Amino acid sequence: MDTLASRGTAHQQGGRQVKRYGSVLLRLLLGGVFVVAGALKVLDPSAFATDVARYGLVPNALVNLVALALPWIEVLAGALLLAGCWRQPAALVIAVLNVIFLVAISVALARGLEVCGCFGAAVARKASAWTLVEDAVLLAAALWLCRTKGNTDETNRSVN
Amino acid sequence: MRGIFLRAFLIVAVATAVGFGVNAVSPRRIPWLRPPPLTVPASEQIPMEEARRLWESGDAIFLDARPVSAFGDGHVAGALSLPLEDFEGRFTAVRPRLAPEQPLVLYCDGEHCDDSLRLLQRLRSMGYTNARVLVNGWTLWRRAGLPTSKGDAR
Repeated sequence: MDTLASRGTAHQQGGRQVKRYGSVLLRLLLGGVFVVAGALKVLDPSAFATDVARYGLVPNALVNLVALALPWIEVLAGALLLAGCWRQPAALVIAVLNVIFLVAISVALARGLEVCGCFGAAVARKASAWTLVEDAVLLAAALWLCRTKGNTDETNRSVN
Repeated sequence: MRGIFLRAFLIVAVATAVGFGVNAVSPRRIPWLRPPPLTVPASEQIPMEEARRLWESGDAIFLDARPVSAFGDGHVAGALSLPLEDFEGRFTAVRPRLAPEQPLVLYCDGEHCDDSLRLLQRLRSMGYTNARVLVNGWTLWRRAGLPTSKGDAR
Protein backbone atom coordinates (compact mmCIF):
# COMPACT_ATOMS: atom_id res chain seq x y z
CA MET A 1 0.00 0.00 0.00
CA ASP A 2 2.83 2.28 0.88
CA THR A 3 4.39 1.60 -2.51
CA LEU A 4 1.12 2.34 -4.28
CA ALA A 5 0.68 5.51 -2.28
CA SER A 6 4.20 6.65 -2.99
CA ARG A 7 3.74 5.79 -6.67
CA GLY A 8 0.57 7.90 -6.70
CA THR A 9 2.40 10.78 -5.05
CA ALA A 10 5.28 10.48 -7.51
CA HIS A 11 2.78 10.48 -10.38
CA GLN A 12 1.10 13.59 -9.00
CA GLN A 13 4.45 15.29 -8.56
CA GLY A 14 5.42 14.34 -12.13
CA GLY A 15 2.17 15.86 -13.40
CA ARG A 16 2.83 18.99 -11.41
CA GLN A 17 6.37 19.19 -12.82
CA VAL A 18 5.06 18.93 -16.40
CA LYS A 19 2.46 21.60 -15.67
CA ARG A 20 5.05 23.77 -14.00
CA TYR A 21 7.61 23.60 -16.82
CA GLY A 22 4.88 23.76 -19.48
CA SER A 23 3.50 26.87 -17.86
CA VAL A 24 6.93 28.54 -17.71
CA LEU A 25 7.74 27.59 -21.30
CA LEU A 26 4.37 28.81 -22.60
CA ARG A 27 4.67 32.05 -20.65
CA LEU A 28 8.14 32.76 -22.03
CA LEU A 29 7.19 31.85 -25.61
CA LEU A 30 3.98 33.85 -25.64
CA GLY A 31 5.59 36.81 -23.85
CA GLY A 32 8.56 36.75 -26.23
CA VAL A 33 6.38 36.65 -29.35
CA PHE A 34 4.31 39.60 -28.19
CA VAL A 35 7.26 41.72 -27.04
CA VAL A 36 8.96 41.23 -30.43
CA ALA A 37 5.74 41.78 -32.42
CA GLY A 38 4.94 44.96 -30.47
CA ALA A 39 8.49 46.33 -30.57
CA LEU A 40 8.71 45.93 -34.36
CA LYS A 41 5.51 47.94 -34.73
CA VAL A 42 6.68 50.60 -32.26
CA LEU A 43 9.77 51.16 -34.44
CA ASP A 44 7.70 52.29 -37.41
CA PRO A 45 4.34 53.70 -36.25
CA SER A 46 3.57 55.23 -39.63
CA ALA A 47 3.88 51.88 -41.44
CA PHE A 48 1.76 50.15 -38.82
CA ALA A 49 -0.91 52.88 -39.09
CA THR A 50 -1.02 52.15 -42.82
CA ASP A 51 -1.55 48.46 -42.07
CA VAL A 52 -4.37 49.27 -39.63
CA ALA A 53 -5.99 51.54 -42.23
CA ARG A 54 -5.66 48.87 -44.90
CA TYR A 55 -7.79 46.46 -42.88
CA GLY A 56 -10.59 49.01 -43.17
CA LEU A 57 -12.11 47.96 -39.84
CA VAL A 58 -11.34 51.05 -37.77
CA PRO A 59 -12.96 54.47 -38.41
CA ASN A 60 -10.50 56.84 -40.11
CA ALA A 61 -10.29 59.14 -37.10
CA LEU A 62 -9.21 56.27 -34.84
CA VAL A 63 -6.65 54.59 -37.12
CA ASN A 64 -3.60 56.42 -35.78
CA LEU A 65 -4.70 56.19 -32.15
CA VAL A 66 -5.12 52.42 -32.45
CA ALA A 67 -1.77 52.18 -34.24
CA LEU A 68 -0.10 54.07 -31.37
CA ALA A 69 -1.68 52.16 -28.49
CA LEU A 70 -1.84 48.57 -29.74
CA PRO A 71 1.92 47.87 -30.09
CA TRP A 72 2.58 49.13 -26.57
CA ILE A 73 -0.21 46.94 -25.20
CA GLU A 74 1.51 43.99 -26.87
CA VAL A 75 4.90 44.99 -25.46
CA LEU A 76 3.67 45.57 -21.90
CA ALA A 77 1.51 42.45 -21.71
CA GLY A 78 4.33 40.38 -23.26
CA ALA A 79 6.93 41.83 -20.88
CA LEU A 80 4.73 41.06 -17.87
CA LEU A 81 4.38 37.46 -19.06
CA LEU A 82 8.15 37.19 -19.52
CA ALA A 83 8.68 38.56 -16.02
CA GLY A 84 6.07 36.20 -14.58
CA CYS A 85 4.29 39.16 -13.05
CA TRP A 86 0.51 39.69 -13.30
CA ARG A 87 0.44 36.54 -15.38
CA GLN A 88 -3.31 36.03 -15.61
CA PRO A 89 -4.24 39.65 -16.45
CA ALA A 90 -1.41 39.82 -19.03
CA ALA A 91 -2.56 36.52 -20.56
CA LEU A 92 -6.14 37.83 -20.64
CA VAL A 93 -5.03 40.95 -22.53
CA ILE A 94 -3.11 38.80 -25.01
CA ALA A 95 -6.08 36.47 -25.44
CA VAL A 96 -8.36 39.42 -26.26
CA LEU A 97 -5.77 40.79 -28.70
CA ASN A 98 -5.63 37.40 -30.41
CA VAL A 99 -9.42 37.32 -30.79
CA ILE A 100 -9.25 40.78 -32.40
CA PHE A 101 -6.44 39.61 -34.71
CA LEU A 102 -8.38 36.49 -35.68
CA VAL A 103 -11.43 38.55 -36.63
CA ALA A 104 -9.37 41.17 -38.51
CA ILE A 105 -7.36 38.59 -40.48
CA SER A 106 -10.48 36.56 -41.30
CA VAL A 107 -12.16 39.70 -42.69
CA ALA A 108 -9.00 40.61 -44.64
CA LEU A 109 -8.81 37.13 -46.14
CA ALA A 110 -12.50 37.21 -47.04
CA ARG A 111 -11.97 40.55 -48.78
CA GLY A 112 -8.88 39.27 -50.60
CA LEU A 113 -6.67 41.94 -49.03
CA GLU A 114 -2.91 41.54 -49.04
CA VAL A 115 -2.22 42.71 -45.54
CA CYS A 116 -0.95 41.29 -42.26
CA GLY A 117 1.09 43.81 -40.28
CA CYS A 118 1.47 41.09 -37.67
CA PHE A 119 5.13 41.90 -37.03
CA GLY A 120 5.16 45.49 -38.30
CA ALA A 121 6.53 46.63 -41.63
CA ALA A 122 9.98 45.10 -40.96
CA VAL A 123 8.63 41.61 -41.65
CA ALA A 124 6.98 41.57 -45.07
CA ARG A 125 4.25 39.01 -44.63
CA LYS A 126 0.82 38.43 -46.07
CA ALA A 127 -2.03 37.04 -44.04
CA SER A 128 -3.02 33.50 -44.94
CA ALA A 129 -4.97 30.62 -43.48
CA TRP A 130 -1.72 29.65 -41.75
CA THR A 131 -1.72 33.03 -39.94
CA LEU A 132 -5.15 32.12 -38.57
CA VAL A 133 -3.80 28.80 -37.29
CA GLU A 134 -0.87 30.59 -35.60
CA ASP A 135 -3.25 33.05 -33.97
CA ALA A 136 -5.53 30.26 -32.81
CA VAL A 137 -2.56 28.47 -31.20
CA LEU A 138 -1.46 31.70 -29.47
CA LEU A 139 -5.04 32.25 -28.30
CA ALA A 140 -5.20 28.73 -26.86
CA ALA A 141 -1.88 29.28 -25.05
CA ALA A 142 -3.06 32.62 -23.65
CA LEU A 143 -6.35 31.13 -22.47
CA TRP A 144 -4.51 28.25 -20.80
CA LEU A 145 -2.23 30.66 -18.95
CA CYS A 146 -5.25 32.75 -18.09
CA ARG A 147 -7.18 29.79 -16.69
CA THR A 148 -4.48 28.09 -14.66
CA LYS A 149 -4.43 29.34 -11.11
CA GLY A 150 -2.05 32.28 -10.83
CA ASN A 151 1.66 31.62 -10.55
CA THR A 152 1.58 27.83 -10.81
CA ASP A 153 5.30 27.75 -11.46
CA GLU A 154 6.13 30.01 -8.54
CA THR A 155 3.77 28.16 -6.17
CA ASN A 156 5.28 24.83 -7.07
CA ARG A 157 8.76 26.21 -6.63
CA SER A 158 7.96 26.95 -3.00
CA VAL A 159 6.22 23.58 -2.55
CA ASN A 160 9.21 21.73 -3.90
CA MET B 1 -11.73 37.25 -11.08
CA ARG B 2 -12.66 40.91 -10.84
CA GLY B 3 -9.07 41.65 -9.89
CA ILE B 4 -7.84 40.01 -13.10
CA PHE B 5 -10.10 42.18 -15.26
CA LEU B 6 -9.11 45.28 -13.32
CA ARG B 7 -5.41 44.55 -13.80
CA ALA B 8 -5.94 43.72 -17.47
CA PHE B 9 -7.65 47.07 -17.90
CA LEU B 10 -4.76 48.75 -16.11
CA ILE B 11 -2.27 47.11 -18.50
CA VAL B 12 -4.22 48.46 -21.48
CA ALA B 13 -4.54 51.93 -19.93
CA VAL B 14 -0.86 52.23 -18.99
CA ALA B 15 0.32 50.90 -22.37
CA THR B 16 -1.99 53.32 -24.20
CA ALA B 17 -0.69 56.23 -22.13
CA VAL B 18 2.91 55.18 -22.87
CA GLY B 19 2.13 54.88 -26.59
CA PHE B 20 0.59 58.34 -26.74
CA GLY B 21 3.36 59.81 -24.56
CA VAL B 22 6.11 58.35 -26.76
CA ASN B 23 4.38 59.68 -29.88
CA ALA B 24 4.24 63.16 -28.38
CA VAL B 25 8.03 63.35 -28.12
CA SER B 26 9.18 60.92 -30.82
CA PRO B 27 10.97 62.17 -33.94
CA ARG B 28 8.90 59.57 -35.83
CA ARG B 29 5.61 60.89 -34.48
CA ILE B 30 2.46 60.49 -36.52
CA PRO B 31 -0.58 62.80 -36.54
CA TRP B 32 -3.14 61.95 -33.86
CA LEU B 33 -6.23 61.89 -36.03
CA ARG B 34 -5.35 62.11 -39.74
CA PRO B 35 -5.04 58.58 -41.14
CA PRO B 36 -2.10 57.77 -43.42
CA PRO B 37 -2.66 57.75 -47.16
CA LEU B 38 -2.98 54.21 -48.40
CA THR B 39 -0.79 52.94 -51.14
CA VAL B 40 -2.40 50.49 -53.50
CA PRO B 41 -0.54 47.14 -53.65
CA ALA B 42 0.84 46.41 -57.13
CA SER B 43 -1.38 43.35 -57.48
CA GLU B 44 -4.49 45.51 -56.96
CA GLN B 45 -3.50 48.03 -59.62
CA ILE B 46 -4.36 48.05 -63.29
CA PRO B 47 -1.86 49.66 -65.68
CA MET B 48 -3.12 52.57 -67.77
CA GLU B 49 -2.72 50.69 -71.07
CA GLU B 50 -4.77 47.73 -69.88
CA ALA B 51 -7.45 50.06 -68.51
CA ARG B 52 -7.62 51.80 -71.88
CA ARG B 53 -7.99 48.46 -73.72
CA LEU B 54 -10.73 47.38 -71.33
CA TRP B 55 -12.55 50.66 -71.85
CA GLU B 56 -12.31 50.31 -75.65
CA SER B 57 -13.58 46.73 -75.53
CA GLY B 58 -16.51 47.79 -73.37
CA ASP B 59 -16.01 44.76 -71.14
CA ALA B 60 -15.26 46.71 -67.99
CA ILE B 61 -17.24 49.16 -65.95
CA PHE B 62 -15.38 52.19 -64.67
CA LEU B 63 -16.35 53.37 -61.20
CA ASP B 64 -15.50 56.90 -60.11
CA ALA B 65 -14.79 57.04 -56.37
CA ARG B 66 -14.51 60.83 -56.23
CA PRO B 67 -17.23 63.06 -54.76
CA VAL B 68 -20.33 63.61 -56.94
CA SER B 69 -19.37 67.25 -57.59
CA ALA B 70 -15.98 66.20 -59.04
CA PHE B 71 -17.74 63.57 -61.14
CA GLY B 72 -20.09 66.25 -62.50
CA ASP B 73 -17.12 68.43 -63.50
CA GLY B 74 -15.70 65.62 -65.60
CA HIS B 75 -15.20 61.86 -65.60
CA VAL B 76 -14.10 58.93 -67.72
CA ALA B 77 -16.71 58.56 -70.46
CA GLY B 78 -19.26 55.95 -69.48
CA ALA B 79 -18.03 55.75 -65.87
CA LEU B 80 -20.52 55.40 -63.04
CA SER B 81 -20.30 57.55 -59.95
CA LEU B 82 -19.79 55.60 -56.75
CA PRO B 83 -18.30 58.05 -54.26
CA LEU B 84 -17.05 56.58 -51.05
CA GLU B 85 -18.73 59.36 -49.07
CA ASP B 86 -22.19 58.31 -50.33
CA PHE B 87 -21.61 54.63 -51.01
CA GLU B 88 -24.88 53.38 -49.59
CA GLY B 89 -26.96 55.98 -51.42
CA ARG B 90 -25.33 55.49 -54.82
CA PHE B 91 -24.77 51.75 -54.75
CA THR B 92 -28.51 51.08 -55.11
CA ALA B 93 -28.42 52.80 -58.50
CA VAL B 94 -25.13 51.19 -59.59
CA ARG B 95 -25.80 47.64 -58.42
CA PRO B 96 -28.08 46.52 -61.31
CA ARG B 97 -25.24 47.34 -63.74
CA LEU B 98 -22.69 45.11 -61.98
CA ALA B 99 -22.23 41.36 -62.11
CA PRO B 100 -20.01 39.66 -59.50
CA GLU B 101 -17.42 38.64 -62.13
CA GLN B 102 -17.65 41.94 -64.01
CA PRO B 103 -14.23 43.56 -64.58
CA LEU B 104 -14.29 46.82 -62.63
CA VAL B 105 -11.82 49.67 -62.91
CA LEU B 106 -11.93 52.00 -59.93
CA TYR B 107 -10.33 55.39 -59.93
CA CYS B 108 -10.07 58.63 -58.03
CA ASP B 109 -7.52 61.38 -58.52
CA GLY B 110 -3.99 61.98 -57.27
CA GLU B 111 -1.10 59.65 -56.42
CA HIS B 112 -2.16 59.58 -52.78
CA CYS B 113 -5.92 59.39 -53.21
CA ASP B 114 -7.04 56.28 -51.37
CA ASP B 115 -10.81 56.51 -52.00
CA SER B 116 -10.53 54.01 -54.85
CA LEU B 117 -8.63 51.55 -52.63
CA ARG B 118 -11.22 51.86 -49.87
CA LEU B 119 -13.94 51.39 -52.50
CA LEU B 120 -12.10 48.28 -53.72
CA GLN B 121 -12.11 46.89 -50.18
CA ARG B 122 -15.85 47.46 -49.84
CA LEU B 123 -16.67 45.92 -53.20
CA ARG B 124 -14.41 42.92 -52.54
CA SER B 125 -16.20 42.29 -49.26
CA MET B 126 -19.46 42.27 -51.24
CA GLY B 127 -18.19 39.61 -53.63
CA TYR B 128 -16.98 41.76 -56.55
CA THR B 129 -13.64 40.03 -56.95
CA ASN B 130 -12.65 41.27 -60.40
CA ALA B 131 -11.97 44.88 -59.42
CA ARG B 132 -8.71 46.80 -59.69
CA VAL B 133 -7.55 50.36 -59.11
CA LEU B 134 -6.25 52.75 -61.74
CA VAL B 135 -3.97 54.83 -59.51
CA ASN B 136 -4.20 58.58 -60.15
CA GLY B 137 -6.81 57.54 -62.72
CA TRP B 138 -8.58 60.78 -63.56
CA THR B 139 -5.36 62.73 -64.12
CA LEU B 140 -3.78 59.95 -66.21
CA TRP B 141 -6.95 59.53 -68.30
CA ARG B 142 -7.11 63.24 -69.12
CA ARG B 143 -3.39 63.46 -69.85
CA ALA B 144 -3.73 60.57 -72.28
CA GLY B 145 -6.45 62.52 -74.09
CA LEU B 146 -8.95 59.69 -73.72
CA PRO B 147 -12.72 60.27 -73.91
CA THR B 148 -14.33 62.06 -70.99
CA SER B 149 -17.83 63.29 -70.21
CA LYS B 150 -19.36 65.94 -68.00
CA GLY B 151 -22.61 65.97 -66.10
CA ASP B 152 -24.20 64.62 -62.99
CA ALA B 153 -24.32 61.02 -61.95
CA ARG B 154 -27.22 59.03 -63.30
